[in-house]
Amino acid sequence: MNLSTSEKERYTRQLIINGWGEDGQLALKRSTVFIAGAGGLGSPVAVYLAAAGVGTLRICDNGALELSNLNRQILYRDTDIGKNKVMAAEQTIKSVNPEVTVEPVTDMIKHDTAASIVGQPDIIVDCLDNFEARHVLNDYAVQASIPFVHAGIHGLSGQVAFFYPPETPCLNCVFPGTVPQQVSPVAGVTPAIIGSIEAAETLKWLLGIGVTLKNKLLIWDGETMDFQKIEIKKNPHCSVCSRQ
Amino acid sequence: MTMTDSEKERYHRQMIFDGWGEEVQQKLMNSSVFIAGAGGLGSPVSIYLAVAGIRHIRICDYGMPELSNLNRQILHDDTRIGINKAVSARDTLEKLNPEIKVTAITDKITEENVEEIIRDVDLIVDCLDNFDTRHYINAYAVQKCIPMIHAGVYGMRGQLTMIKFPETPCLWCINPGSPPDTMFPIIGATAGVIGSIQALEALKYLGGIGSNLLGKLLVWDGAAMEFQVLPQHRDQNCPVCSRYHQSHEFC
Repeated sequence: MNLSTSEKERYTRQLIINGWGEDGQLALKRSTVFIAGAGGLGSPVAVYLAAAGVGTLRICDNGALELSNLNRQILYRDTDIGKNKVMAAEQTIKSVNPEVTVEPVTDMIKHDTAASIVGQPDIIVDCLDNFEARHVLNDYAVQASIPFVHAGIHGLSGQVAFFYPPETPCLNCVFPGTVPQQVSPVAGVTPAIIGSIEAAETLKWLLGIGVTLKNKLLIWDGETMDFQKIEIKKNPHCSVCSRQ
Repeated sequence: MTMTDSEKERYHRQMIFDGWGEEVQQKLMNSSVFIAGAGGLGSPVSIYLAVAGIRHIRICDYGMPELSNLNRQILHDDTRIGINKAVSARDTLEKLNPEIKVTAITDKITEENVEEIIRDVDLIVDCLDNFDTRHYINAYAVQKCIPMIHAGVYGMRGQLTMIKFPETPCLWCINPGSPPDTMFPIIGATAGVIGSIQALEALKYLGGIGSNLLGKLLVWDGAAMEFQVLPQHRDQNCPVCSRYHQSHEFC
């Protein structure tokens, strides 16, 4: 597989990044990323991974678009209201980069369907808005040995981590249990920042450049603009990853 | 100006922030922002200010999208190649939020036309890719006491600060002169991180919530995923801002 002349032109400015090059670009083209959630976080993640030239984006969301989503979910327009999110997302992603293959998935991820929905991507990006679904996804990622970029946002704050047991803890080691779901405040800029960081982590992993947030939790406070990176450890008794 | 039911619905999730509400949303809606550059940084900045409900966005770029821009300039797509970037930006932004008004300015910013191009806005956001032009808008921002959010990106790195004369150093104090123009490496996610932080700084300033990076330079290294905040100091002999300080001729 080679890059076409038009691909070389499209990716000129990133091909010159140290350690990227045509080989890196081809590795991205061969990659499949599973994006769980096509909302506030999923929007910048999908847009920036598509623009970078990831070959296949499998994007999953069972929701339909509402007007109150549009202060942050930049994959969509007013004309998409009422439509299934991922079907509308496919159009936007294809216009960002026609070279990308989009696989929209409209099912809800459950324990018995995770394997068929997620399949065997190179990496999973968590753009979900609740811990119940995150744990289902984490269980599958651990079992299938797929790296898992986690992010969560609340108000003007957010967090990111890179899970890949046995090298790192899993989501359940660090955040066991769930928190009750509620309508929480969110502006577009928070998922924009956190989602762009998730996209950067994903690209670094796929290209093998830089240092990912393995064994670290990045915590960001948008009100004060404080960033902290804290060490996170495996739970030796974790019900999800300790048996692996 | 009152909010329509549809605006209340559109902005609902941000209006339920502690201390945001209709009052802060009204402030945002009545604000005008000048965005210098509709490229890698200008894309997330203008997109996220538009969806947040900034009603008056003036966006300026004299260039046209090229295929090699599309790995990061998410305002544009393959169908916009060959039309002006500011015009392309306006089309995208007005689709993302039909409630706002976007003015596209297609001129190249020079020392002579900077006043006519920027005019009276509440805030300037520097999404440029060269320091020559940045210094023209910095001089204007200092002269008119208009706050400016500066950012620059390179590869997987970026920097950002908020300049507000006379409280903070100006851009010349921090980055005197201009490095030679070169074709530098850049990816979309870098512009995404730094541009989104610029948009957040803009919303915090315009809405009067949280604290800003005043006199502090945020430096981000995406390869190592390290963030640093470095204090910045005024150059007492700065050719741009020192004479205003000396004469106490603040606008």
